Amino acid sequence: MLNESACSHNKTKKSSCDKPKPGATSGGCAFEGAQISLFPYADAVHLVHGPDTCLGASWETRATLTSYEGENNTPLGYCTNVTTQDIIFGGDKKLAEALAYIVEHKKPKAIFVYETCVTAMIGDNIDFTCKTAEELFHIPIVPVHSPGFVGSKNLGSRLAGEAVLDALVGTREPESIHPFGINLIGDYNVTGDMWQYKPILERIGIKVISSLSGDGRLEQIQMAHTAKLNVIVCAKSLVTLCRKMQERYNIPYVSVSFYGKRDTSNAIRSIVNAFGDAELITKAEVIIAEEEAKLAERLKPYHLMLKGKKAILNTGGNKSWSIASALQDIGIEVVATCVQKATEEDVAIASEYVPIVFKNPGVEQPKLIDEHKVDILLAGGRSLYTAIKKRIAFVDVNQEKKVSYGAYGGLENLASDVCSALANPVFKLVGKAAPWELV
Amino acid sequence: MGASMNLKELRTMSMKPLHVNPLKLSQPMGATLAFLGIKNCMPLMHGAQGCASFTKVLFTRHFNDPIAIQTTAVNDITAVIDGGDKGISEAVENITKKVTPDLVGLFTTGMTETKGDDIKGATLLLKEKQKMVYVHTPDFEGGLESGWSLSVQNIITQLIEPTTQVKKDKVLLIPNVNFSPIEVEKLKEALELLDLVVFALPDLSDSLDGHLGVKQGALSSGGISVSDIEKLGDAGAVITIGRSVKKCGELFYEKFPQSTHLHFDSLIGLEASDDFYAKVFEFLQCKSVPSVVKRWRARLQDVLLDTHFTLGKAKILIADEPDSAYAMSKALREAGSTCEAYIAQRSEIQEAFTCKMQIGDFEEVEKRLPEMDMLIANYHGERLAHKHHKALLIRGFPNYEQVGIGLRYNILYEGSCAFLCEVNNLLAHH
Repeated sequence: MLNESACSHNKTKKSSCDKPKPGATSGGCAFEGAQISLFPYADAVHLVHGPDTCLGASWETRATLTSYEGENNTPLGYCTNVTTQDIIFGGDKKLAEALAYIVEHKKPKAIFVYETCVTAMIGDNIDFTCKTAEELFHIPIVPVHSPGFVGSKNLGSRLAGEAVLDALVGTREPESIHPFGINLIGDYNVTGDMWQYKPILERIGIKVISSLSGDGRLEQIQMAHTAKLNVIVCAKSLVTLCRKMQERYNIPYVSVSFYGKRDTSNAIRSIVNAFGDAELITKAEVIIAEEEAKLAERLKPYHLMLKGKKAILNTGGNKSWSIASALQDIGIEVVATCVQKATEEDVAIASEYVPIVFKNPGVEQPKLIDEHKVDILLAGGRSLYTAIKKRIAFVDVNQEKKVSYGAYGGLENLASDVCSALANPVFKLVGKAAPWELV
Repeated sequence: MGASMNLKELRTMSMKPLHVNPLKLSQPMGATLAFLGIKNCMPLMHGAQGCASFTKVLFTRHFNDPIAIQTTAVNDITAVIDGGDKGISEAVENITKKVTPDLVGLFTTGMTETKGDDIKGATLLLKEKQKMVYVHTPDFEGGLESGWSLSVQNIITQLIEPTTQVKKDKVLLIPNVNFSPIEVEKLKEALELLDLVVFALPDLSDSLDGHLGVKQGALSSGGISVSDIEKLGDAGAVITIGRSVKKCGELFYEKFPQSTHLHFDSLIGLEASDDFYAKVFEFLQCKSVPSVVKRWRARLQDVLLDTHFTLGKAKILIADEPDSAYAMSKALREAGSTCEAYIAQRSEIQEAFTCKMQIGDFEEVEKRLPEMDMLIANYHGERLAHKHHKALLIRGFPNYEQVGIGLRYNILYEGSCAFLCEVNNLLAHH
């Protein structure tokens, strides 16, 4: 598990997912990673087996949208609320009772049970409890073993992928098999990102068999083995799942990004090229041309404002290049991007898009802003002070965004947000000296 | 508490084997906030990295401000073989490489309590290197209020230097966790108006009040300084507000019997505010009342009369931390409202409620909501209020939807006016 052959950095390092460093860590844990990966299944109940805290803070926090018409479980939080007594006597009984309560009151299609640090340490036999309940209630009850202490969010996502692969994939057969069926892996449909490009793929003639897990359905992921191609959307953590599906079901995979015009068009091309069907490829080109023309028309009003504007980007992971690419597509010159939190692969890709990549934002960011007369800084909240001090516009790209920046449609949202920031006088105003500071 | 409390608990505890949409937040989260009210402090959560990460995200989104916190990042190896001290000392070493905290607030989580780590020993080992306070805050017990209170108790016992001196005009103010930053400031001002020198512990009024600082540091940006805490022993009075922090005052008084302990369960509404001024004036043997206090009391009298038409007919469901739910229900009942409350955790304040009250989750809240006119809850209440077409007042943690929550105050005469008017207007325009 810790030695993922499909990760490029394994050529240089032994362990693929770094151990967190005490006193110098800020990311989420494996449990959170697993949760993020599977929560978008709206037709399943997600039960956290642990103290209330693991869930208490994290339910109803992510805008993962769903079109599911039954009771949407994504904004709901279920937790066994393990207390001192359960720690002494074991939490299995409580888990069994909780499962029975959920089946009786909620009638879900399936239940995911998330192990947490405490229930892992007290040695609850979650597998057995889940298996017994599964036989009793005749719905899939899937244990997810990713207690927080095993590692980072990334590792948790991978463990969640494993759980789905072992318990669900291949457990249901479709009526017919589509020649151009794909699985969308790693897009959680946050703010509806997936809906920006899924209809386009369908117009080309591609069928989305299942998704892990944006707007996903349990029955669909059970048939994921009948897809002809796995499409990983900006999520390296699930590469393990895709590699295993290739070994088990002979399904190849491609890795794509739907941020920005060029990347979206390239993503569509990667998908149709993987099928190698001439008709499909031709159809894709026609639709890409159509969509790009429509987008150019929609972006026109923003051009005047954005043309020649210079930006610096400071964000994490694949966003260090995917947002850069999207910004370039709306006419902004991206002077530099920070790769402090990016993987080696991301650094390599980022250098192709952006002339300067930097690793120490504290020192380099202010310098770069001065040297290149930058107009706007796109970064996480921490950098706001830099922008205010330099009196340039600021867009927070790390905060939970409210609208989708995905695919062709989302690019207009990004253009609109950047324009608003550039036009807003607030960045110059709040940096103004107080009357008593003026000499 | 005794036997009567236990019986009451049995009656009120939900017998469900799980929580559906929990109301409860954890003890380590309460501890985090407490340490953020101390200047140049680094809250250090002893657990897996996720515990601190969830907490950081929640408070960052709630306050719209950066939150200083670090984690000992216990992993699968240290979880099994380490007694805690290695991870803790490594964390302190890594923190002090980058910054120089005046204090590291070390507190546990469910996981490290299950392991049984010796945090006292770890703290002692690091004594020469870094000033620290340690607190046991397992998240399978208590909640936000008790985590805050336990931290304050441990700060009192571990940091304040012994003294037999007493300064009659020096006051230690201990607010409960539900106080907004500006409420702490307003309360300090109210006491300063009576010529007192006031120290709040913790003091969020200049650390999480949402001010634009010079730059963003890695440590807490404001709050009471460690040296001021160490010298708190000569305070003539300790004032605690909220049952969750009553024990902090008792502990202080035990350690410094030359002081006086004044406790208040609530500061919202006419009776609570009257009680506050009555006891404080008595303590100060104060004869002259500031005219601004008199003026605001008169305004609150008028507000009570103005709002009683609407509030008198309203059925209001409150879901919040115990001290906050108690304070709000007490004030609303003064204007004639019918209240019911769901509280997040067990608390001694349960015995003081004069309305129907239970420990519960949002599933229980939703069951009662159809019969009510208004819901007062954290932002999770929004979906429910929409679904059942009820008026909504967002209070408590977290509030991701609104801005300016750090600047809103609902205590004493003036704040109570604002509270009652806001509830009235929301009900009337719903």
